[in-house]
Amino acid sequence: MPVFRWGQTWDPFRDLEREVDQLLANVSLFQGIRFGRQYPPINVYELDHELLLIAELPGTRAEDLEVLISEGVLTIKGKRSGPEGVADDRFRRQERPRGAWQRSLTLPAHIHEDQLAAELSNGVLRIRLPKAPVTAPRQIPVTNGTP
Amino acid sequence: MSNEIVRTMDVVAQPVQEYPVDQVVFTPPIDIFETAEGLVLQADLPGVSSDSLELQVQDNKLSLFGKVSLPIPSDARIIHQEYQVGHFLRSFILSDEVDHERITAKLNQGVLEVVLPRHPKPEPRRIQVRSD
Repeated sequence: MPVFRWGQTWDPFRDLEREVDQLLANVSLFQGIRFGRQYPPINVYELDHELLLIAELPGTRAEDLEVLISEGVLTIKGKRSGPEGVADDRFRRQERPRGAWQRSLTLPAHIHEDQLAAELSNGVLRIRLPKAPVTAPRQIPVTNGTP
Repeated sequence: MSNEIVRTMDVVAQPVQEYPVDQVVFTPPIDIFETAEGLVLQADLPGVSSDSLELQVQDNKLSLFGKVSLPIPSDARIIHQEYQVGHFLRSFILSDEVDHERITAKLNQGVLEVVLPRHPKPEPRRIQVRSD
């Protein structure tokens, strides 16, 4: 008599596993794709003369948002608060992320750091980063040193 | 009786093909909280404006569809991607407790807020008790 019953169709744990997988799949539907691991999700586009950074920040007010740039690193930070005066036990469902967040990105090109333009509309932040001309490579003469 | 006034439906099973299929459709995250008057539903719809939002109540089904069209120049090349641009779709079943006639909604900074008031409680009615 076999001790292990391989290939048996009756396997309650396997079914349970499948259920859990489905649950996880449902969760990742918005947390995996839409929110990824980092908040807020950011896309960066490149155009001939500028970079365009677009971040999804629904419900964030401009006064709660800070955009900083220093030496090729762009930092955006802000906070998102829940509805005022609503106690946690009043919530039937709570899926929207909230709290303080901060992200820094190293920009892939030289840009005019003093010419950034940021605009927030319909919960979408757009930052235009004009590219700075790439400085021509400078030839450094190598001379024979005296031994 | 169920104490859930709003139940969310399985969004994956929604008939997406009613809407243009040229873009991806996402399930927006929502919050639902209770107030003294009823319920408030908030949904994150970044990129949706009031012109591109369809909100409708039919029978006891509340559905929202937000169209997203981000103005990205055609010659832009994506060099870093963390999200996909898509429309938003989600449906809810409303219980009879919600007064459908008084549902209001507003859209601010990409967040939709739908106020779902309860039917007003009828005034207590005094019942005459007679004795034979």
